[in-house]
Amino acid sequence: MPPHSQTAGSAGMEIDYGTHTIRFVRSFDAPARMVFDAWTQPEQMRCWWDAAGEPLSVCEIDLRPGGRYTFVSPSHPHMPFTGTYLQIAPPDLLVFEAMNSTGRVRFESVGSRTRMTVEIVCGSAEQLEQFLQIGVARGTAQTLDNLVAFIGRKAA
Amino acid sequence: MTIKQSSSHLDGVFHALSDPTRRAILSRLARGEASVAELSAPFDLSQPTISKHLKVLEQAGLIEGGREAQRRPRRLAPNAMKDAHSFIEPFRKQWERRFANLDAHLARMKKDT
Repeated sequence: MPPHSQTAGSAGMEIDYGTHTIRFVRSFDAPARMVFDAWTQPEQMRCWWDAAGEPLSVCEIDLRPGGRYTFVSPSHPHMPFTGTYLQIAPPDLLVFEAMNSTGRVRFESVGSRTRMTVEIVCGSAEQLEQFLQIGVARGTAQTLDNLVAFIGRKAA
Repeated sequence: MTIKQSSSHLDGVFHALSDPTRRAILSRLARGEASVAELSAPFDLSQPTISKHLKVLEQAGLIEGGREAQRRPRRLAPNAMKDAHSFIEPFRKQWERRFANLDAHLARMKKDT
C-alpha cells in the first residue's frame, strides 16, 4: 500500500503535503535551555535570525501567550516578520503564529546536545505554497531589485 | 521566466499534491507505469474518479500518458518535481543559513560562559 502521506524535499528539510507541514531537524552542541534562550531573548535572537548574518535592526519579543514579536532585517526594512506567541514551555517547546501559519519549535536533550525540530504548519496546500513563496521572495530579494514591489502587489 | 508564470504552474502542482489519493497514485507510478484499471484496483474507487485525479495530475505536469495507445498507461513526467524543488530550494537555503548562524551563535555563548 502506498504511504498515506508523502514527504519531499532536499536534505535537511521535509515537506509533508498531507499535513501541509514544513519540517527542519537540527542538532546543536549546546543544552536545550541555551537553544531555547537563543530563540526567546531579544539580544540573542538579534544575532542569528537574519539569513544574511546581519544583526536585526528591530527585535522585539513579548514572551507570553498572546504576546507579539517583531523581527526586521536591515536588508528588508519593509518586510517585518511579526506574529504572536501561543505556547511557551522552556526548555522544551515554543509555539507561535506567523503569517497565518503555526510555528512549532521543539527542543529535546540528547546527551549534552539538543535536537531541535522546527515545524511550520500551514492550514492548507494553498497556504503552504504562499508561505514558501514569501520565504523565497525574502531569500532572493537581495538579488532582485523589483521584488519589494512584487510583494507589495501580492499583498494589495 | 517571470515569477508570475512560475507561480501559476506551481499552484497546479501544489493543488495536485494536496490530495491523498493523488499522492498515492504518484507513489504507485514512481514504481512504474500503470493503466487506469491498474490504478483504480487498489483504491476502491471507480475508474471515472481515478480518471479525474489523473487529469489533475496531468494538468499539473506531474504525469503523462504512455505511448501504448490501447491501455493508455500513465507514468511520472520526467521533470515532474523539478520545478517544485527549484522553487523550494531558496527557502530551504535561507533556513540553512539561519541555523548555521544559530550554531555559531551558540558556540560563542558557550565560550563566554
